[in-house]
Amino acid sequence: MPESIRSSTPRHPDAPFSNPGWQLWPGLLLASLLLILAGGGLGALFWQAELPRVAVLWENRYLRNVLSFTLWQATLSVALSLLLALPVARALARQPCFPGRSLLLRLMELSLVVPTIVAVSGVVGVYGRQGWLTTLVNDWAPALSWNLYGINGIVLTHVFFNAPLAARILLQTLENVPQPQWRIASQLGLSSGWVWRALEWPALRPVLPGIAALIFTLCFTSFAIIMTLGGGPAATTLEVAIYQSLRFDFDFGRAALLATVQLLICGSVWWLASRRGMTHALVPGRQVAEQVPRKDGSGLRGLWDRLLLLTFTLFLIAPLAAVALRGLPGLVSTLTQSGSGGRLWDATLLSLAIAIPAGASSVLAALLVLASNGSTQKGIPGQISATAAYLPLMVPPLVLGTGLFLLLRPQLGVTSEGLILVGLINSIMALPFVLQMLRGPLRGLDIASIHQADQLGILGWYRWRWLHWPRMRRPFALAMAYATGLSLGDFGVIALFGSPEEPTIPVLLYQQLGSYQMAAAAGTGLWLITVLLAVFALFNLLGRPPATAHLREPEHA
Amino acid sequence: MLEVRDLIFAYPGQLRPWHFDFSVAPGTCLAIHGASGSGKSTLLNLLAGFLEPLSGDIRWQGESLVHRRPWQRPMTSVFQEHNLFEHLDVMTNIGLGLHPGLKLTAEQQLAITQGLQEVGLAGLGKRMPAELSGGQRQRVALLRAMLRSEPVLLLDEPLTGLDDEARQLMRKMLLKSKAAGSILILASHDEEDRSVLADNVWNL
Repeated sequence: MPESIRSSTPRHPDAPFSNPGWQLWPGLLLASLLLILAGGGLGALFWQAELPRVAVLWENRYLRNVLSFTLWQATLSVALSLLLALPVARALARQPCFPGRSLLLRLMELSLVVPTIVAVSGVVGVYGRQGWLTTLVNDWAPALSWNLYGINGIVLTHVFFNAPLAARILLQTLENVPQPQWRIASQLGLSSGWVWRALEWPALRPVLPGIAALIFTLCFTSFAIIMTLGGGPAATTLEVAIYQSLRFDFDFGRAALLATVQLLICGSVWWLASRRGMTHALVPGRQVAEQVPRKDGSGLRGLWDRLLLLTFTLFLIAPLAAVALRGLPGLVSTLTQSGSGGRLWDATLLSLAIAIPAGASSVLAALLVLASNGSTQKGIPGQISATAAYLPLMVPPLVLGTGLFLLLRPQLGVTSEGLILVGLINSIMALPFVLQMLRGPLRGLDIASIHQADQLGILGWYRWRWLHWPRMRRPFALAMAYATGLSLGDFGVIALFGSPEEPTIPVLLYQQLGSYQMAAAAGTGLWLITVLLAVFALFNLLGRPPATAHLREPEHA
Repeated sequence: MLEVRDLIFAYPGQLRPWHFDFSVAPGTCLAIHGASGSGKSTLLNLLAGFLEPLSGDIRWQGESLVHRRPWQRPMTSVFQEHNLFEHLDVMTNIGLGLHPGLKLTAEQQLAITQGLQEVGLAGLGKRMPAELSGGQRQRVALLRAMLRSEPVLLLDEPLTGLDDEARQLMRKMLLKSKAAGSILILASHDEEDRSVLADNVWNL
């Protein structure tokens, strides 16, 4: 060993950003800022208007109906989504060789980002008055009357979105059961009932409250689905009532009161779920499980599983296929017409101009919050970052947007500044999902690697560069794609701040649906999905690791 | 001189805490042996700074190390396994031991290549750890430890599970390091390793 090298090696050269403060403070400040923004947004509404009496919630018939309908549709959506997700997840676990299984899994993951307004147009294409299935059922059983609009369509679309998400998380939970236990169950030839009692239920029970809380919150705060399939006093949710108060009645006080009620209800649900030891991830992981042959996956049970999975696949594919089939002619004619084609391009550019910065800031914010949360999980700092991570699920984006608009109004003058606000709120709304995507890979370093890195002084920037980045590259790209996709498909805050003359793609779609340009709307829906897939493909490409080694071996040695 | 004075440690719920008190002179090897759970690895982790003692002191050349973080201590560990970063090639794994940002001088790069030749791994610098045998991986880990030239080597069963040839080579490397003045603290179940390498044996 050359002695010159031994003596010239510095013991611990300083790594950039290795001071623990760099890990803690930026994220903590950001999390605090998020809490201040959320509190400030809500507070601004209270400040700007006279608050109605709380009793108005039960005295006013409209508000009473809104509140009870919101609770009812969310509860029903949770129950039906879980009732469908549980057998689907079990069937997927039992059938590792089901043809097209991996495609089905990707389709289920997509449910997080398929723009609601596009999915709704697909649902209308299948289950609407002129939809495929409705026509078919009417031919066979004319006595059956079905109306998509109202509670039926709302719950159906909520199940379309949430059952796949729940099933994917439940499947991941089942795949996390240690493989030796599955092997023992296989060797003992346990029946389906015993597998459920001995392995599946004990694994699923702890994650169910968290999934139920997640679905409840998503359905409780649902906006675009209610706007398109609901409406009217009989089928309006709190979120839509808040929108109406802000946009049409200019009743900030009522909006603030309703937002507080929403925050209290969703917050209580999350609090209850966390008391039950909620540990699941909001976003399913992508772990490849070993395939263990199972007795309860063969025979009649196996046939039933395949039938269920086939039906579920059709349930997911049919609306998307409707969008594609109905959209293609509309899209071709839109793109070939100079006027409408130009409008679509403008909408696409505007959407991307909002979504890409929103996605990037969401990912950056998530990394900072996670770093801060990782360096201190205890005490007030830990609570601040944990609360900031889930708050966007509960605070209505419309309230946040309007509140911030009111706070910043003296400075905000033109539409483009309102659009910056849209981007900011979109990035905040994507934060809980992005956080969950990055949390696992960022915390996934094994203890042996941590010890080595500590001893070798691989700290701060160097630790990120050599240990975290190679593992984070793909999840980072996926998180960017998800966050950008969520913002691309947003039809919430943009409905409030967007200008009808300069629409984003979802706003253009909504305008076309509203003016009964169904062919053009279908084309725009297909275009939105295409842009979304292009964004995913691009980030997937960027997330691929380079093939070259890091350090070259000198040739002269 | 490395001195361990009245070092006390217990895991949560452990009724009888461990108590360590010893010193080791430069250029010598202290071997520790004992049954599983007797505290061998715990002692090495305490010395490395991966665990925090309840009380007591660790001193190097008269200076207390007990409040220093792992990267501030004059020590390098070699474990039985998981010594390398699996996603980085051999050269990078060793290079990170010389500079945590991999900013290596030409001289340091040359030293790594020469070191690889010395330990019989010439030409394997671009291999990933998964492409090496257990013995080769351990040689890489030991080479990195030796190139780091920290005066104390903490060895937690580094030769366990290796074939005879790899074991002989590793022993030779460790003896060379000891002759150059390093302190070796070796946790080992193997009597032959202890008799070849150790100047003192401590039964836990």
